[in-house]
Amino acid sequence: MGDHFSISVPSKPEYVNVVRLTASAIACRMGFNIEQIEDIKVAIAEACTNAIKHGIKNREENFKIQFLVDEEKLEIDVEDEGHGFSCNEIEEPDLENPKEGGLGIFIIKSLMDDVQINSNIGKGTSIKMIKYLGDDL
Amino acid sequence: MSIHIQTNYNKDENIWIVDIKGEIDIYTANKVKEDLNKMLDEQMADFKINCLELTYIDSTGLGVLIGILKRLKKEEKNINIVNPKPNISKLFHITGLDKIFVIEGE
Ligand SMILES: Nc1ncnc2c1ncn2[C@@H]1O[C@H](COP(=O)(O)OP(=O)(O)OP(=O)(O)O)[C@@H](O)[C@H]1O
Ligand SMILES: [Mg+2]
Repeated sequence: MGDHFSISVPSKPEYVNVVRLTASAIACRMGFNIEQIEDIKVAIAEACTNAIKHGIKNREENFKIQFLVDEEKLEIDVEDEGHGFSCNEIEEPDLENPKEGGLGIFIIKSLMDDVQINSNIGKGTSIKMIKYLGDDL
Repeated sequence: MSIHIQTNYNKDENIWIVDIKGEIDIYTANKVKEDLNKMLDEQMADFKINCLELTYIDSTGLGVLIGILKRLKKEEKNINIVNPKPNISKLFHITGLDKIFVIEGE
């Protein structure tokens, strides 16, 4: 079993940068390379931004992040108890016709090796993402 | 964390030169959006965004740039993204935005 590191984050934009720094410190300690660390920073920030922008109902609420540190991989879970959404409605962005919005989840899926989204309307959302150490898959 | 935007209008070439330093994310994106829109209110012109010291961007920041680009495209103007760091040009590539922005100096 790997190590388990978790934090509870205020639902405020100014803390997303703190989360990025935390993720980058953990990833760096695990031996990820610079490009992989940048990928992890963007992916976790996208998940936090979504929790703050779409998920959480009031700014007093916190959301939770868990880092599961393993020998061969880092798993990150970002969970909010907010509005939730219907995950099968996620549209792939039309890369020929870019528009504002709708890029975040696509970016997470591109940068991480394995991504699972679970959401229940009225209950909240959890997004689980894994990055493997070693060469990019 | 902070964002610093320095702008300069070049009259001869009718182009805005913008230096962006820092990080564009959910916290700073609004300021970037306001500043860039104000520039366009003042003068409609091509944009050259110098990204040498832009260390971070994500979908929130890309959304701001897409919004500005849409305003510019209506007047047949464009945005040049100059000297983006590898982590930033990677995002332009995976999202296909490298096809609608002009990217220089990768
Ligand atoms: N934590 C969440 N809670 C509720 N809805 C969410 C959550 N995360 C994503 N969504 C829904 O999924 C949609 C797609 O998310 P995605 O991050 O891909 O795009 P976006 O946030 O709308 O725009 P962008 O990320 O490009 O700024 C959102 O518009 C929102 O409806
Ligand atoms: Mg998003």
